[in-house]
Amino acid sequence: MHALDWLNFFIANFQTGFGPFVSVYLTSVGWTQGEIGLALSVGTLAAVIGQLPAGALVDAVRRKRRAAAAALVAIIVSALLVAAWPILLPIFVAEALHAFASGVLNPAVAAISLLLVEHSRFGERLGRNARYAAIGNAIGAGLMGACGYYLSGRAVFILTALLGAAALAALAAIRHEELGPAARPAARRPDRRQCRPPPWRALRDPRLFILCACAALFQLANAAILPLAAGFVTKRAGGEAPLLIAAGIIGPQLVTALLAPRAGWAAERWGRRPILILGFGALPLRALLLAGFANPYLVMVFQLLDGIDAAAFGVLLPLIVADITRESGHYTLSLGVAGLFVGLGATLSTAIAGFIADRLGGAAAFLTLAGIGATATALVWIMMPETRPLPGRVVARAFKRPD
Amino acid sequence: MAAGAAPIPAPDGAAAEQRGVLVRRFPAQDLFSVLGEEVRSAAGADMGRIVDVLADETGRPRAAVIDFGGFLGVGTRKIAVAWRALCFGGTQKHGIVLPDLTPDQLKSAPEYEASGKPVAVITPSPLIESGSDPCPGP
Repeated sequence: MHALDWLNFFIANFQTGFGPFVSVYLTSVGWTQGEIGLALSVGTLAAVIGQLPAGALVDAVRRKRRAAAAALVAIIVSALLVAAWPILLPIFVAEALHAFASGVLNPAVAAISLLLVEHSRFGERLGRNARYAAIGNAIGAGLMGACGYYLSGRAVFILTALLGAAALAALAAIRHEELGPAARPAARRPDRRQCRPPPWRALRDPRLFILCACAALFQLANAAILPLAAGFVTKRAGGEAPLLIAAGIIGPQLVTALLAPRAGWAAERWGRRPILILGFGALPLRALLLAGFANPYLVMVFQLLDGIDAAAFGVLLPLIVADITRESGHYTLSLGVAGLFVGLGATLSTAIAGFIADRLGGAAAFLTLAGIGATATALVWIMMPETRPLPGRVVARAFKRPD
Repeated sequence: MAAGAAPIPAPDGAAAEQRGVLVRRFPAQDLFSVLGEEVRSAAGADMGRIVDVLADETGRPRAAVIDFGGFLGVGTRKIAVAWRALCFGGTQKHGIVLPDLTPDQLKSAPEYEASGKPVAVITPSPLIESGSDPCPGP
């Protein structure tokens, strides 16, 4: 297994601890609901606002590995802060630090991946990244769940810090020479830096904004489904609910692990559009099925469909952004823009779904999410152009590259 | 609860009284925090954690909000249970116990929302019928 595989594995692994579990932990140390809500809002706000500057930062830094290492250290520090010092200010700092560091880490890993392979094989590489991230998510959820159940909430964050250290080791194992100047796609090479177009040109590309709109709508439909479905499972299944919800979280990750490399390969062979439409289409289907059937076992079977859209989204979003910025550079800045839209969509999703579920019931909420997901799919179908570079042009550019 | 336990006189009580307050010290097992504490059923099943306490206009606690179920914080539900249905430390190491409720009774209870709506408080039926204290004595 390549060091980059391990890096993706460990990053996904430790990111499981931050998330809804923070509120369980803070509850257990006597925080009030208001304080917890505030701390989580600080994290969400920092994550959304931080995307753009984080992407720009990675863009400006020449050594992407160092940016990733700094982000990993920041996340380890925030995990230790959460474990050691669960009072207001340190937790707020930790939440903000973690959110911003994650905003740096994800584009940095994508940039490192792009430096390791030719552009024409980047889809396959992203497929592998998504596979190992999914395995890391699945194992992380199992590990953290067991840790929280048998040990304590605090132990979960100590484990998070340890896994962060493992991710640092994996990062260090990516050898410097592999990132060196030989046989690299030209966009991010230092020798091309001086003639790189200004960032606003990259940001004015209409394809980027169509992609961002699609991604925001996708997350608007997607992010609320799991919490909503899990709430209904708790309501109907009682004592078995935690196990069923765990299955509903881990199952789709295994599907993603299976499908993601295929999605990357298929996107290189048949183009980005068909795979993106296929993946996006699985989302409204899942929401429709969840609206129609309430049985908690069936709910967890339907959740497996999440593996399909997660694989397509996880591979195609960074791949299409790489296609779009191939000429102009500014890959991670553009990833930051996409991350901003994704974050906004995800944040609004739970609010909208919660509001509708409250007034009109769960089925209405799932139907609304299905409608939004169908709109996202239609938008991809109608508006999103194919961005796969033509094979002929790749060869031509390769021969033209000055040495 | 150790109802008859007399407060330990504070050594610095005299000094405090000069300023118009009385300092009383209680043994640690007599007074304890409830926020964030785990709740169990009579059989020892996990019933979630207390996340809030609801009081009426006289200041008496009437209900405890417990955060129930879920995995790693995903899919939990907040449910208000009658304060009288909770037993505090009566059964030594068990901590806080809901003797007359099971997870299956709790799961489908209406969810508690802090949004100005009527609050649905779960009261186990043995408590309504007898009206007596469900908790075993110390």
